[in-house]
Amino acid sequence: MLQRILIIDDDEQLADAYKIYLSKHGYCVHCAHELEEAEALLAHYEYSLVITDLRLSKLGFGGLEIVKQIREKRLPTHIVVFTGYAWPELKAEALAQNVDAFVRKPAKLSDLMETISTLTEASA
Amino acid sequence: MKKSLLERILDPQELSVRFQPIFRVNGNDRSVDSLEALIRGPQGTNFESAEIMLDYARRKRAEAEIDRSCIKAICKVAMNLPTAFRINVNVHASTLGQDPGFVDFFHTQLKKYSLGPWRFVVEIIEHAPACNIPALLYNLNCFRDAGIRIALDDVGLGHSNYRMILDCNPDYFKIDAYFVRGVSADTKRRAVIESIVALSRSMGAQVVAEGPETKEELRVLQETGVELVQSNLLCEAMPLFGLQATGLLDISNAAAAPRDQRQNPAPMCEQFATNEPLFAAVRA
Repeated sequence: MLQRILIIDDDEQLADAYKIYLSKHGYCVHCAHELEEAEALLAHYEYSLVITDLRLSKLGFGGLEIVKQIREKRLPTHIVVFTGYAWPELKAEALAQNVDAFVRKPAKLSDLMETISTLTEASA
Repeated sequence: MKKSLLERILDPQELSVRFQPIFRVNGNDRSVDSLEALIRGPQGTNFESAEIMLDYARRKRAEAEIDRSCIKAICKVAMNLPTAFRINVNVHASTLGQDPGFVDFFHTQLKKYSLGPWRFVVEIIEHAPACNIPALLYNLNCFRDAGIRIALDDVGLGHSNYRMILDCNPDYFKIDAYFVRGVSADTKRRAVIESIVALSRSMGAQVVAEGPETKEELRVLQETGVELVQSNLLCEAMPLFGLQATGLLDISNAAAAPRDQRQNPAPMCEQFATNEPLFAAVRA
């Protein structure tokens, strides 16, 4: 089954690079660069996995908002937080939302891929 | 400087327009009653899906802005359509309830491209509960005065309920595909559609059924009294040149040419300044 992944990151170049990489590994990948874009996509598609940064703009932590929404709506999706903002309080707040993995930026593509594979194979 | 996503979709040049025919079906005979103008967002973005683009715009509270952008893009293309076909355009209920200049803007666009208002059907979409109903109805009356017809989209879903039907008094009831798909094997769905058809007839309106996927569903729809159908089964949405290539835009395929049926055309609604109270609550 083709698995759909949503990457939420306001760094468009980085998100696009991951999209290309994951697409080559057989995933259907969408990217969102804003909170509202991610919300609209989540309202229309079912994702096996969401990879999100916590900070989506200079204004705030929209990624954490997305994590909360996914859990509140009980969407059947794994969540990987992929961020450079690994402050203990922020990490604790994300983990309290029952995220499946917390990966610190920058990370090797292979490390991120391993996390993704483990989660998506488990749900396949 | 790179444009933001919102700025991109508010630029009509970034939007593309497709048209999907709405067919009048009578047995095996089909003619084109009108063409719904459907928008596609900027290429290479998630907004190539209009649903996602409009959802995004609503979350940004930019319904009126995106509606204006879409109308601009549609009118520019619609000027190349034969006058024999009516054109359906989507407008948010909230735009009609909150944007005091929208009707004038609409007419300005029509004039710019020499399009007669009587060729248009305004489809009211996304009937938010907080919508300013008096202002919405005022704007609908302005449209009607100019010969524009009104359709209520997604009848039976969300906020497109009996109150909206009564208030808006639409010329067309559009039944969402949710009720249509599977109608041939589901007596409850059929009952819902029959009730909508009966209601529309008693109100002097017509029903458009969206999205039948099989000939059997199409047959059952006709049995219920549905005369207008919009479906990929009959013709998918396509750009103007694609539609022209199908031959469907030949005048011989037109159900009936739209024309200005007003005996005494009323002057277009000119000034919303005199109706400030209608919109004041929204602005506040």
